Amino acid sequence: MKCLICGRDAAGELCRHHVEAKEKLQAAYPRWVEAYGEMGWAEYLDNVKRNVQTGQWAKETAEFLQGD
Amino acid sequence: MGYTLVICEKPDAARRVASALSDGTSKSALVEGTSVYSFTLNGEEFVVCAAQGHVYGISDPIDERTVYPVFDVEWYPSNLVDDDSVGAGRRVSAIKKLSSGATRLVNACDFDAEGETIGHNLLRYACGGREADSLRAKFSTLTEEDLKRAFDSLEPEPNQGLARAGRARHSIDFVWGVNMSRALSQAVLGSGIRYRTVSIGRVQGPTLRFLADREREIREFVPTPYWKISGVFDVNGKKVAAAYAQEKIRTSAAAKRIREDCLGEGAVVASVKRRMVQVGPPPPFDIGELQKEVYRIFGISPSRTLQIAERLYLGALISYPRTGSQKLPPSLNLRGIVAGISKFQEYSRIADEILRSGAKPVQGPKSDPAHPAIHPTGEKPRHPLGRFESSIFDLVVRRFLAAFGASARRELVDVTIMVGSHKFVASGGRTVFQGWMDHYGRYAGYRDKEILQISEGDRLLTSSVDAEEKFELKPNRYNPGSLLEKMEREEIGTKATRADIIATLVDRGYVSGENMEVSELGFVVIDVMERFAPTIVGTGLTRKIEEKLEVVEDAGSGEAMILRETIRTIADQLSVLGAEEDALGKEIGSALEMTTAKQFVLGRCPVCKSGELRLITSRATGKRFAGCSNYPSACRASSPLPQKGTIKVLKACDDCSWPVISVTGRGRPWRLCINQDCPGRKK
Repeated sequence: MKCLICGRDAAGELCRHHVEAKEKLQAAYPRWVEAYGEMGWAEYLDNVKRNVQTGQWAKETAEFLQGD
Repeated sequence: MGYTLVICEKPDAARRVASALSDGTSKSALVEGTSVYSFTLNGEEFVVCAAQGHVYGISDPIDERTVYPVFDVEWYPSNLVDDDSVGAGRRVSAIKKLSSGATRLVNACDFDAEGETIGHNLLRYACGGREADSLRAKFSTLTEEDLKRAFDSLEPEPNQGLARAGRARHSIDFVWGVNMSRALSQAVLGSGIRYRTVSIGRVQGPTLRFLADREREIREFVPTPYWKISGVFDVNGKKVAAAYAQEKIRTSAAAKRIREDCLGEGAVVASVKRRMVQVGPPPPFDIGELQKEVYRIFGISPSRTLQIAERLYLGALISYPRTGSQKLPPSLNLRGIVAGISKFQEYSRIADEILRSGAKPVQGPKSDPAHPAIHPTGEKPRHPLGRFESSIFDLVVRRFLAAFGASARRELVDVTIMVGSHKFVASGGRTVFQGWMDHYGRYAGYRDKEILQISEGDRLLTSSVDAEEKFELKPNRYNPGSLLEKMEREEIGTKATRADIIATLVDRGYVSGENMEVSELGFVVIDVMERFAPTIVGTGLTRKIEEKLEVVEDAGSGEAMILRETIRTIADQLSVLGAEEDALGKEIGSALEMTTAKQFVLGRCPVCKSGELRLITSRATGKRFAGCSNYPSACRASSPLPQKGTIKVLKACDDCSWPVISVTGRGRPWRLCINQDCPGRKK
């Protein structure tokens, strides 16, 4: 199976790198909600995607998750 | 009557040795096309000749890249095993010829594991097995004084421990590298991609792993927000900037509350703490510290720094650079060196001051039994130095002079300002006594920050409070300097090899550019090795081998056992890799294609808008240029490119849409738009 984001070999729909990036995105979400008081998942992904500090795989994954 | 044959490591060293010992009266001649020098000293004939670094290299008798494992290896003249070592054969022939008439042999190669290995191999293979009955000349600079002293006290036998450890290190690295590379390269070939060398050396593997681990952290990084609060306070008409004591406020609501609490409120100076701190001089340079400092200040890569430092050493301007020592022992005639430096106009004030005061240099913690810390010889350059040579020479001289300096004294002030229950802090600092900082000049790197004239109990007005939204920063990539530091800390590689290993990672396409970004190929090689042969890319085994080789250096034996153990480990790992050859080949092969494609595409063609601008190397001239993939039918866009350095595409040019590239070569990278007619060039 190929990663739906990058085409690398994958065990599921995403490769190892993008799975790990997805886990990081999920782990950081509660901290963003706490920081701003209220923030939906879609808005969070949009913010992360536009942030210059976000890593390339995390950005790609955020974009992929937005399309879900 | 016979003569004494002196074997040096490099031609420049041979010329200097001959000139120093003969007081400039030596005569040069050509033997097998290589320069040799002869002279008479105290009634005795001397002939001085030179190798050209390693003139013997290791290979396997089969020398067929499809065959592995290979554990039966031998030393051969380098020209037989390496196409780039064409001159080695002539040097070996010359030394062979000269040694037949020599009554005494002196190994005058650099005194370290590499020099000992070079000398040992020549004495053993070219001079008919005379490695045990030769004499050893030991010196740390190529000055006349040091060379004469070394030849007045020739040591009766070479250092067998260093030579054995050096030879064993070469054998282990060859066996490791050739087998792993052939296993990986064959796997790739089996996947249907044309042959490409995919290597993973003993130190290269763990080093690539450091880079890949960091790159993963960066690419997976998700920033989290925080707020930084700062205030400006009025004191007698002057403004004082202070930061909120809690550096990071985690929620927007809390930041807003703090700001509202403080705005317009009165403030009071709760405390003013002034203290003096002493800042001791930095220790003299060992090679690792020199490489890191040169990278920090001039942006020159560690491998290039080593090359330049060796040139300065061969010019007798600095001492032997491949040293692990940060000590300047009194036996060095330090006063004489400082007196020599006092003749340079730019250093005379400081050098004279040191001579007057009789100051002693600070010693660093690292030591090396073979050589002292890197220091200037006190001699003036006979020819003008190049830009980088001149910069590194200046740094070495100033660092040497700084070691004699007194501790600097800095006054630091911390002010605490309270606004109700909220605490703000302001700090400042200034150098009140320069000491060594004056000697080290602009390299010292300490800046003054204005000290507040303020007292405890002073009342202030809060004129503004800002809460700035910020985000956690992703980790920095390693640069050549910080990677070198990591390798030192992890104790992998040697002071002589670390810089070359970093350069090899770039050459192999595992990392690219100045910022050492790991390529897809680098990731995949590390990924598959971590899964199938983790020992190969871990630090444990390679560190253990280094420790055991250090024991061999001291004891003079035990290298055969280390080689046998390494071979067993490699054989085990190879059998695992062999069983997974298909999977390995497929993964690495596809990463190779991805990396290669990325390396050669510079961007969309700005002229036809449908083709790709590609990096092409002309078959006729061997020169590289950019050309459109639609050439010649639909588009003739092309442009010359810099012929040297690593090219990386940065963006499309704002003025003409052609690619803007960075070129990383010897110094700091430079950037340019590749379009020769770019309107931006005329601005």
